[in-house]
Amino acid sequence: MRVTNLLPDVQYQMQQSQQALATANQQLSTGLRVNQLSDDPAASANMVVSLAASASVDQYTSNVSSVLPRMQTADSAMSAIVTSLNSAITLGTSGASSSSVTANKQSIATQVQSILSSVISQANTSYNGVYVFGGSESTTPPFVAASTTYTSSQGSVANPLAATTALTAGSVTSISDATTGKTMTFKAQAGDTVATLQQAIASAAVAGTLSAGTTATINAKGQLSIATTNASQGIVVTSNDTSLGAMAADPNTAVANSYAYVGNSTVNSVQVGDSLNVATNIPGNQLLTSGANVIGSLTNLIAALQNGTESQIGTATNAVSSALNYVSQQRIPLDSTISQLNSQESYLSQEKITLTTQQTSLVGISLSTAATNVSQAQLTNSAVLAAAAKVLPQTLLDYLR
Amino acid sequence: MSLNTSLSIAVQSLNAAAGALQATNNNIANANTPGYTREVPILQASAPSTVGNNLSVGDGVDLVRYQSVRDELLQSQIQQETSSQSGANAQLSSLQQIQTVFTTSAQDIGTEMSALFTSISTLSTNPSSSSSRQAVLSAGQNLANAFNTVSKTLTAQQSGLNTQVTQDVSQINQLTKQIAALNPQITALKATGQDGGTLQDQQNQLVLSLSKLTTVSVVQSNDGITLTTGNGTPLVVGSKSYSLQTSTGSDGMTHVLDQSGADITSSLTGGNLGGSIQTRDTAISGMLTKLDTLANQFGSAMNAAQAAGYDQNGNAGQDFFTVSGTVTGSAATIKMAITDPTLVAASSDGSAGSNGNLSKLSAVQTTALASGQTPGNAYASLVYQVGSLTSNANAESTATTSSLNQLNDQLSSVSGVSIDEESANLIQYQQAYQAAARVVSVIQQLFSVTMSMGTAAAS
Repeated sequence: MRVTNLLPDVQYQMQQSQQALATANQQLSTGLRVNQLSDDPAASANMVVSLAASASVDQYTSNVSSVLPRMQTADSAMSAIVTSLNSAITLGTSGASSSSVTANKQSIATQVQSILSSVISQANTSYNGVYVFGGSESTTPPFVAASTTYTSSQGSVANPLAATTALTAGSVTSISDATTGKTMTFKAQAGDTVATLQQAIASAAVAGTLSAGTTATINAKGQLSIATTNASQGIVVTSNDTSLGAMAADPNTAVANSYAYVGNSTVNSVQVGDSLNVATNIPGNQLLTSGANVIGSLTNLIAALQNGTESQIGTATNAVSSALNYVSQQRIPLDSTISQLNSQESYLSQEKITLTTQQTSLVGISLSTAATNVSQAQLTNSAVLAAAAKVLPQTLLDYLR
Repeated sequence: MSLNTSLSIAVQSLNAAAGALQATNNNIANANTPGYTREVPILQASAPSTVGNNLSVGDGVDLVRYQSVRDELLQSQIQQETSSQSGANAQLSSLQQIQTVFTTSAQDIGTEMSALFTSISTLSTNPSSSSSRQAVLSAGQNLANAFNTVSKTLTAQQSGLNTQVTQDVSQINQLTKQIAALNPQITALKATGQDGGTLQDQQNQLVLSLSKLTTVSVVQSNDGITLTTGNGTPLVVGSKSYSLQTSTGSDGMTHVLDQSGADITSSLTGGNLGGSIQTRDTAISGMLTKLDTLANQFGSAMNAAQAAGYDQNGNAGQDFFTVSGTVTGSAATIKMAITDPTLVAASSDGSAGSNGNLSKLSAVQTTALASGQTPGNAYASLVYQVGSLTSNANAESTATTSSLNQLNDQLSSVSGVSIDEESANLIQYQQAYQAAARVVSVIQQLFSVTMSMGTAAAS
């Protein structure tokens, strides 16, 4: 073949070898084999999926870290409740003994009262501002001392509330009953009046959500008064209705040793794995006021110690024992969740390593390979340049002088 | 045979050598001229004359003509390959700019989408936290921005390519005009039995430039070359060129029309024009459709999940994203519909602290959209599409460059000027000239001797 001009080929070869050198250099300096999508489209697409999986794993790990201490706090609180109940049983057993004199029983009752306060304080445990036993109502203490009567701040003799007074649409009025352990929540619709609320309360009393005898009336001062006739267990009323104003307990209507649950039954769960969700709370009503009612059993024990017979104290003590068993049972799923979270944490850290390895193999390049590629590209480039330097200046004219 | 005849042959020989030297000189002068085809002097022995008794003797040399050494087949292959290369390069150049917005390491859609779900998951651990709620809104805003940015980049590329189409068409029109103008000149030269020479070189070079813009079909005819586009739209017939026109279509894109106003946009292939049109109307258009579909379906899925829950005030969840009613343009217009953190519908029962509905929002990440893919996979498939198109354009560009190099080597082997060869020719013709001059000198001496013969006799 007749060769006329070597330059175009030499230029092309130089360009190719310099391109290869630049690529090898970039791979070495970034540690990546795929620096742009076109370097390996399939790996890039897999990388998108893998990165999303990585982000999820990071998030699951962060969720575990944020949920675990809260669960541990709940567990500690339940452990403290168990200890308190054990003390109460010991005290109740001692109170039930025939040798115990009335003064002693009163003293024991006082001790059980302080145990109840301690249980309530544990039940109102919060972690980072979140009340762990409040259900999803986690920003306010879930157990509140109950009273027999609550009165609205709105309404006066001069300007009384009436059955026809309109309520604010969307406002929520809730009544938590310590007797039933349930909460009636009334959300006002457009057109609702005080009469609608009164009717709802009456219906709830019939349905058993509220104890019989819970009423809502307009008192002599023109205010809405919500009251229960049960003297031993009270209610807690809250409202954000502007027509009613804040509901406050009437002075001297507080019921001793009676606490109402103002949280809800919602169990929040948090995702800590692709298909693993864990419940992050035990609603306080499930734990302490339903089943073998913990608070109720302590309240009854106090009452029995104060006024009851030895047999009644014994029965009440047995009820506290049942409550203790119940709380211990409730701890089992919580403890199992804690251990699940711990093992999930290790699994996630392993998963993270797997994903990182996968990502490295998708788009990364080993240092040794990259370094070898660079030296190889350098060698090729030098060879091309050396060859160019040799062949380009050669011309017949050099020999014709 | 007379001395005069010999002198005449010597002079012819001098002329031929000088003519050959001129060709060599011209070759050397144009050694680096793009598209130049080397010329060789065609020397031919003059018709013999008869002397004496039927003795036939050569009558010197004629420089018949200069012949350019061409290979039309190679030339045509180079034109076609140039079209392919320019087309691939045009696609590559656009796609390389596009693929940067689909990176897997910065604020791309995939990363922002993950960040949104991460923020939702964080919120699930404390649904009352206003900072976590705000983080969800910010992540949503970032994702909407990422969609907007990618869509904007794609449409900006399309507008850039519209400008490119207009410029290419204007260049094509200029080139076809110049090519048509050369046709009659070359035809006239050829009619006299001469080679097209440098005029043909110029024309070939212009056709090559035209090939860089679009694929053309070249047919030799009596009136010179006839040029048509790939689908047969005439560009040059004889001395007449046919201009292409551009107009903005209802889709907002610049369309190419032939002389009669017929839309030939989709039939143009190869070259910068064909590559630009293909990138604009097929590649980018396809990406935009996928992107819009993803934005639309993802936004709607998030809205549906929001609607299933309650915000922090206990009201039914409002739309999370504002999504266009039609798929087209969704990615460009998607934006956050809510700005108040309390409006994130985390709750499933209306209580402020419930996180029950966040699992529905999170589930959008793992649930197939109407397209049949999860949002992450739909984005991954878009990434694959962009990467694959770019990679293919790159491979085609490399392949055509390499193939074009080989073709150019072959053409240069036939038509290129070799300085070494011309240097040798130079010596060859120099020697021929010197020899002819020597003959003249000898004849002059002979004349001189002849002239002085009488003088010597007289003296």
